[in-house]
Amino acid sequence: MKSLLRQHRYALAVTLRRLAAAPLSSLTNLLVISLALSLPLLGASLLVSMQPVARQVSVTPELTIFLKIDAPAAAAEQIAKRVRQEHAALVAGVRVISKDRALNDLRGNPAWEQALKVLPGNPLPDAVVVSLTANDQLAQLADQLAQGWRKWPGVELVQLDTAWVQRLEALLRAGRIGLLLLALSVALVVLATVFNTVRMQAMSQREEIGVARLVGATESFVRRPFLYLGSLTCSLAALLGIGIARLALIPLNDALASLARSYDTEFALSLPPAELLAAAVVSVAILGALSARWSVQRNTQF
Amino acid sequence: MIEFQHVFKSYGQGRNILADLSFRVSAGEFVYVAGPSGAGKSTLLKLIGGLEPPSRGSIQVNGHRLDRLSARARPYLRRAVGVILQDTHLLYDRSAIDNVLLPLAVTGLAPSLARARARAALEKVGLSSKENIHPIELSGGEQQRLAIARAIVNRPAILIADEPTASLDLDSARRIMEVFKDFNRVGVTTVIASHDDTLMASYATRAFKVEPGKFADSASQRAPTYTQSGVMVKSQSPTLRATPDDALR
Repeated sequence: MKSLLRQHRYALAVTLRRLAAAPLSSLTNLLVISLALSLPLLGASLLVSMQPVARQVSVTPELTIFLKIDAPAAAAEQIAKRVRQEHAALVAGVRVISKDRALNDLRGNPAWEQALKVLPGNPLPDAVVVSLTANDQLAQLADQLAQGWRKWPGVELVQLDTAWVQRLEALLRAGRIGLLLLALSVALVVLATVFNTVRMQAMSQREEIGVARLVGATESFVRRPFLYLGSLTCSLAALLGIGIARLALIPLNDALASLARSYDTEFALSLPPAELLAAAVVSVAILGALSARWSVQRNTQF
Repeated sequence: MIEFQHVFKSYGQGRNILADLSFRVSAGEFVYVAGPSGAGKSTLLKLIGGLEPPSRGSIQVNGHRLDRLSARARPYLRRAVGVILQDTHLLYDRSAIDNVLLPLAVTGLAPSLARARARAALEKVGLSSKENIHPIELSGGEQQRLAIARAIVNRPAILIADEPTASLDLDSARRIMEVFKDFNRVGVTTVIASHDDTLMASYATRAFKVEPGKFADSASQRAPTYTQSGVMVKSQSPTLRATPDDALR
C-alpha cells in the first residue's frame, strides 16, 4: 500500500515537472480548456438564476376576467359572486379590480403617466382576478375554466396569467437542452485537447518510457503520470473556468441590474451552487483522466 | 537460471537471426557471448532480457517461461534482470542519481532508502562524486558505468550487457569489467556480449560463439556446426559466495 502511494507521489512529481518544463504550452492548454468550460458555466448560471423566477410565479396561478368596456359597474361583482358559487372548490380567492382603481395604479407608473394624460377617458375595463388552488392538472383546469368564462355575458376576455410562465418554462427546458448540447461540445473540446496534449507528451517522453519499461516499470507506472496530467490540467482548467465565468458575471449583472430597476424589481445572475461546481470540477477531472488514458494507450505502443 | 530450448528468432519473413539455439546458464555463471557484427549477439541478449519474444522455442529465465509469462508479469521479471544495452539509454535531462533512482521509483521503494541505494550503486561504479551531474557531461566510460549503476541498483539476479566496453580505452574497459566481475563474485549471473575476445577471456568463465546460423558453447561437447576456434575459457562451475546485496554494501 505504501509502495503504491509512493508510486502515485512519484507520478505526481513527474507530472508537475513535465508541466513546469513547458510552461507556455501548459498555460495555453489551461486557457483553451478553461475558456471552453466557462461557456456552459455561464449558461448554467443563466438557467439556475431563471429557475426560481419561474417557480415563484407559477405557484400563484391566476386568471383575469376582463369585462366589456361598456359593462355596468355591478357586473364585475356579479361575476365574482358567480365564480365563488360555481367553482368554490377550485378557487382560492376572487378580487374585483375596478376600472378606476386600475387607472390609478397605472398612473402611478411613470412610464404610463404621460400616455394616459392624452387619453380622453378611462380606456380600461373592470376586471375580476381569480386565484386558483394548487392542483396537479392546474394548467388544463385553468384552460377549461377560461374557455367557460369567456362565454359568460359581459365578459370580453379571460387571460390565463400562467401562460407566460409556461412559455418561460418551455424556454428554460429548451435552454437546458441547449446547455446539454453545449456541455457535450465542450466535453469534446476537452477530450481532444487532453488527447493531443498527452500524445505530444508521450512522444516527447518516448525515451523515458522506454527506459522505464527496460527497468521493469509496469504499464500502470508508465500511464500514471499521463493520467495525472490529464486530470490535473482539467481540474485546474475547471477552477480557472469558474473564475472566468464569475468575472464575466460582474459586467453582465451590472447591465441586468439597470434593466431590472426599470421594472422596479431585482434580478442577478449567479453561478450554480458550490456543490454543483465541485461536481463539475470532479467530472471534468475524470474526463481528462479518461482522455489521457485513451491517448496514452494509443500513443505508447512502441 | 537461463535456459534456451530450440529457440529461433527472425524478424518478419526474413531469415533466422538465431536458429535452433539450446543452452543453459546456471546461477552465478559469467558468460561471454562472442561473434561478428550482425551474428545475433544483441538479439540473444534481448531474448534473455525478455525485451523481444522468440519466433519459436522456449526460454526460461529466473524460473519463468517467458512465452507463458503474462504481459502483466513481464515487468516484474525485468526487475530481476539488469540490462545494459549498447546505447546506454540514459535520461539526459536528469542527473546521474536521478537516472539510477528510476528503477527504484518503479518498485515504490521509500525515497530515503532509494537514495541510499542509488548512492551505493554510484559508489560501486566510481561515480559517487558525480551524482548531481547530467549524463551529457560524463565521458563515454562514465556513461557506461552510470548505465551499469542503473542496472544493478535493483539488485538483479541476472546482469546482461551488450558491448559495454565498446569505444572505451583499455583502462576504462577493465574498470567496467571489474565492476561486472564484482557482481558476478557475489552470485549475479552475468552475460556479456563483446567483440573484445582478449578482455573477456580474463573475466568470463564460459563463452558462447554466435555466427549467422551457428552457435557454439565452450561448455558443451556438442558444437558440431561451429568451425572457428576462439573459445577462450573452459567452463567451470560457478561458486556463490554471497548475495547480490553484498556488492552494493
